[in-house]
Amino acid sequence: MRPPAWAAGVCEGVHAAGSRAVVYVPDNPLSHVLGEFESRYRDVRLMLATREEEAFGIAAGLYLGGHLPTVMLQSSGVGNSLNALTSLILPYQIPVLAIVSMRGDEGEWNAAQVPMGRALRSIFDAVDMPHATVASADAAAETVRLVGKTAFGTRRPGACLLPRRMTSASISG
Amino acid sequence: MTRLEATRVVVALAGDSPIVASLGHPAYDLAAAGDRPQNFYTWGSMGLASSIGVGLAMARRDLRVFVVDGDGSLLMNLGSLATIGLLAPANLVLIVMDNEEYATTGRQKTPTAHGADLDAAARAMGIAQTATARGEGELRRAIEHLNGPLVVIAKVAESAPVIKPPLDCVFIKQRFMAAIGNAEPATAAQRSS
Repeated sequence: MRPPAWAAGVCEGVHAAGSRAVVYVPDNPLSHVLGEFESRYRDVRLMLATREEEAFGIAAGLYLGGHLPTVMLQSSGVGNSLNALTSLILPYQIPVLAIVSMRGDEGEWNAAQVPMGRALRSIFDAVDMPHATVASADAAAETVRLVGKTAFGTRRPGACLLPRRMTSASISG
Repeated sequence: MTRLEATRVVVALAGDSPIVASLGHPAYDLAAAGDRPQNFYTWGSMGLASSIGVGLAMARRDLRVFVVDGDGSLLMNLGSLATIGLLAPANLVLIVMDNEEYATTGRQKTPTAHGADLDAAARAMGIAQTATARGEGELRRAIEHLNGPLVVIAKVAESAPVIKPPLDCVFIKQRFMAAIGNAEPATAAQRSS
């Protein structure tokens, strides 16, 4: 089965940014990205974490060990990650490419997802975490690559937000 | 065995191997036992020392990676044990300095003071090699004779730390990365295409 174009683009961008280590907490749209990594990017190591803040901790260790790490998570998990971001990743200047699957934005059906989804960009701005939103499936590869290039080049984390209007057509459940 | 005495055992056995320390008293005692470039001191992110160790151990299979954690810290990130069981990095040695209290914040009791068993938790998460050490000899034997991933619960007495590690986070990181052969280039952009 061919992956959705946005998911293929995310993988292409992560790979082009030089990242070969991906730590993730599962999410429905991100399952397409994981599937694409597994089938077409055998040089990318995928590692499951039990919680998003743990994923950023593992990513920090991967960077110390010489890798350029990517973390994939749902936007709700950014709330779980804030202490890792503000007291480890940001002050130690550890570059991490974060791929954030959005909930709570346009098309959301679950009220419990809305407050965090709406606050996400303000929270990132408040802690000085750079972020960019993927405008369309066609733009995914280049946006992800550039956010990664900036993160790894400037030793700051950077987040790439995948809007629900782009990813929701490919959700199976 | 005090935490400082246990930390000295770890530093002596680690040789040139990297040691990641949890914030607060475990990091302070690591600096007291020997401030070395291969020490990665955390100043925040409570609970993530073992996760940093997992990532480092996965990235550098040629190194034996030591983590000095606390019981309160590990309890804050208990899922880390499941991840260690899943990824099974054979070069990871996680030493939990279990003083049964949140010593850094004023000596409040942790659940391990009331029977919570972190050794059993590690085994239940699929980590084959675990030990509980109640003295320096037991701690030394566990580290010397067991292959990883290894989790050692070191039952320790609180000992008031006497010094603090370097405060500058970027200095800690760059000194550490240079010491293990992953030096950051002077110009960050050189690293990325």
